[in-house]
Amino acid sequence: MSTKNKKVMVVGGGIAGLTAAWELSRFNIDVELIEKTPFLGGYAIRYCCKATDECRQCGACTVEAMLKNVVEEPKIKVHLATEVEKINNNGRISVNLKKSSYQPNSAKEGIVRGYSKNNTPLHVMVDKKKCEENPDAVPEGAVELDTMGYSGKLDVDAVVLASGFQPFDAEKKGTYGYKKFPNVITGLDLECLMREQGAVVRPSDGKIAQKIAFIQCVGSRDERLGNLWCSQVCCPYALRMAEKSKHKNEDAEITVFYMDIQNASKDYAGFYEKCKTDFRFVRNIPVDIFPMENDSLSMRYMNEEDGQCINEEFDLVVLSVGIMPGPDNSNLSDLFDVGLNEDGFFAGMDKLNSTSTLKDGIFLAGTVAGPKSIAASKAHAGQAASEVIKHLGVS
Amino acid sequence: MTDMKHTDMEEINIATDVLVLGGGLTGIKAASEIADSGYKVVLVEKNAELGSQKGPVSLFGLEKESKGLQDLENKITADSNVEILTQASLVSAEGVTGDFNARLSKGEEIVEHKVGAIVVATDFATAVLNENYGLTLADNVLAQTQMAELLASGAAKQKLANKTVAFLVGLGQDGNPLVMERVLNSVLALQEIEGCEAYIYAGDLKVASNGLERMYKESREKGAVYFKLTEKPNIVENGKTISFFDTVARRDIEISPDVIVVEEELRADDLNAEIAEILRINVGPSGFLQNDNVHFFPVRSNRDGIFVAGSTREISGLPSAWTDVENIAVEVRDLLGDGKKTVAKNIGVVNEDKCVICLTCYRCCPHGAIYWGDKKAVISPMACQGCGICASECPMDAIQIGGFNDEEITEKVKSSVVSSNGTPRILAFCCQNSAFEAGEMADMFKMQLPEGLRMIKVPCAGKIDVDYILNAFVSGADGVVVMACHPGNCKSENGNTFAQWRVNDVYRMMEEAGLEKDRLCFAGIASNMGSDFSHIVVDMEQKINELGLSPLK
Repeated sequence: MSTKNKKVMVVGGGIAGLTAAWELSRFNIDVELIEKTPFLGGYAIRYCCKATDECRQCGACTVEAMLKNVVEEPKIKVHLATEVEKINNNGRISVNLKKSSYQPNSAKEGIVRGYSKNNTPLHVMVDKKKCEENPDAVPEGAVELDTMGYSGKLDVDAVVLASGFQPFDAEKKGTYGYKKFPNVITGLDLECLMREQGAVVRPSDGKIAQKIAFIQCVGSRDERLGNLWCSQVCCPYALRMAEKSKHKNEDAEITVFYMDIQNASKDYAGFYEKCKTDFRFVRNIPVDIFPMENDSLSMRYMNEEDGQCINEEFDLVVLSVGIMPGPDNSNLSDLFDVGLNEDGFFAGMDKLNSTSTLKDGIFLAGTVAGPKSIAASKAHAGQAASEVIKHLGVS
Repeated sequence: MTDMKHTDMEEINIATDVLVLGGGLTGIKAASEIADSGYKVVLVEKNAELGSQKGPVSLFGLEKESKGLQDLENKITADSNVEILTQASLVSAEGVTGDFNARLSKGEEIVEHKVGAIVVATDFATAVLNENYGLTLADNVLAQTQMAELLASGAAKQKLANKTVAFLVGLGQDGNPLVMERVLNSVLALQEIEGCEAYIYAGDLKVASNGLERMYKESREKGAVYFKLTEKPNIVENGKTISFFDTVARRDIEISPDVIVVEEELRADDLNAEIAEILRINVGPSGFLQNDNVHFFPVRSNRDGIFVAGSTREISGLPSAWTDVENIAVEVRDLLGDGKKTVAKNIGVVNEDKCVICLTCYRCCPHGAIYWGDKKAVISPMACQGCGICASECPMDAIQIGGFNDEEITEKVKSSVVSSNGTPRILAFCCQNSAFEAGEMADMFKMQLPEGLRMIKVPCAGKIDVDYILNAFVSGADGVVVMACHPGNCKSENGNTFAQWRVNDVYRMMEEAGLEKDRLCFAGIASNMGSDFSHIVVDMEQKINELGLSPLK
């Protein structure tokens, strides 16, 4: 294998970036993996296993496995808390990197923990003062955020943009009361909750939720927001988590409010039949949620049979938030001179080759180029790796 | 990425030619990519010509790409590294990854080829669902493909001008985004025809694919009317009128279309079953050639060196088939390299003195890695994944797995039964792919774990012998937990099932021996389920606290 000195930069350490990096390393290519946050794994590493009696093919466990592959692979150099500052693309691509401006949303006692045990460091001190005040709470091996990040220049032969997506900000749908009512949560919140606690509990009182509503298409397929795409993952994750909730608590009453149910897994027909016997499906997207006593929620929606408005009470409402273009897309688009499509995702070469771009040496992997499941992100990253290998003439 | 101790390595030569089954566009693309990587390709097509799916290309909104597709076919036809066999089929393929002996029939002739890898690239087949709607195909009742062909021909402009066309989709089947895309493409094309009106009677709109929501919106803006129903509309006189009760408007809505277009089901190729049998690969849901197992995605089959692309493994349009082919190109390069492979000799080793060639191992190996020689079964070091199912199933105990041999594990079990200040001693047999990872996660995340818990790592739950569990109890364990991947998630397909059977065997023995069954538990778990791991072992500790320490101590 003649791959002397070939070096590729992968921007983003989520499942697509991890996969692209690992696939490239199999061909003796040196990989520089840049991740803005102090941890690898992106959003997908936070997802829970959705198996009931059997695997439901969510693929969350494969993210753990890929992350482990990457951290154990010496050909991949990981730069955490690092972002791209500037690039110079004349044949070989020169990239200036800087410490990222990452700030966590919340940090208990000044410390943020990674989501995978295979993250090094596993704990990051983001608030030095708080940590100094309570040194006993600082776990062994914790690293100060200030000491992380790489500033400097790297010359590479190709770049894979795998900077991912951002979940729809549910606060933009004000009438759902997200962040105002404690028991209105997003699909992502539920993923984390199930992963950390192994149960579906109400955030307000920690009690097992009995009456649960899932509202689909929150932020997706929304003309008013101009979001004219289906996020492709929300029906699968909602139905799988609903099944898991039912598996954990047989008495749970689950209602799914939807426009059109999208397929989940290869054996969709069998799975959907089971869902239909386990939950109630209502083909209507509710508009308003009102708080009630005991932090329960009242939801107003239209009855399909007679067109009448119904008010119904729920313990917990899960908003199935969709996949939105990544927060850095426009910045990265400017830096790398690669265009975005009308939805704000990166535009690939054409429909058949959506990993190459019109810019020589710059490739795309995963949700940076549009909504994808874990499995689809991995496959897309594999495709990107193949295109990079061809581009570099590695054999 | 296992930490097996493989010190005894050997270099072997492998075949680097590649067999591609299926000469549709996916197969052509696969042949092209693999030949470009420097390997010789044998492309086998049952029909007289390649590119059987050329027709639909224009129907999949790939007009821009269609020139490139034609170029691709010309390129492989001219490529001396691609041997094309049309009207040919696979007869047999003995051997393992890196060393398959493919026998192909072409007419009367049988050709043999040594190949290192096999790519299956069959296309999907279509079936018109007119019967599901009580319709008979006629001049006014067209299948989706017929409508698409009509639109692609020049005749549509005149034939469909000022006509009303009704589409039926998602009510005769669940459907999928590709079915939807075909309908949307036709609807959009119809709207270019003067005076043509489109009505779409739909169940769930399957828009979970790039661009479909925009196509849906565009068609509505251009005047297409969508009726979203939960059941089939009333269709009278083979499509003369269609009606349904609108629950919001509270009235019947009836139209009399000139043409009705019936949706089609996209199914697995009829050839798949035969190919699966010859290649000893699994048939997954609905006749597609891949289990619904995330560890195989995107393109692996249950056997190393055999890959599945596009509609072979699930309903795929060309974009996702292309993604698959690129992934296969990477896999094939990685597998075949320069034709030399360094492999560990001791992944799975058969003891010649013990083996009686009963073929138990051949039958239970999920990876098709075992064949037999003169005096004993032979485990291919190329194809073996070291799961150890064979080793535990072998009635003669003739097989040992490198890094996990029985003696080592027995020692480990004995030394792991420890107790401090009388707390229960719990042994957890953990599949290294799932439970062991989950256990480490629970530990590192400071989730609650019993003091006397020790994990025994195994390559796959299928390696957990009845003897291991019995040994644990005899050595003084107060409780034993066997943890495997969930059904459908085992990298070795059914290692978890074997483990469950063996646990059931042990339950029977415990009953006979008068040992409480609660001291043994079996659980499915995934690598990211640290909290569940914690719950399972803490529950076991509580049970032991109720039962008291083991009477066997």
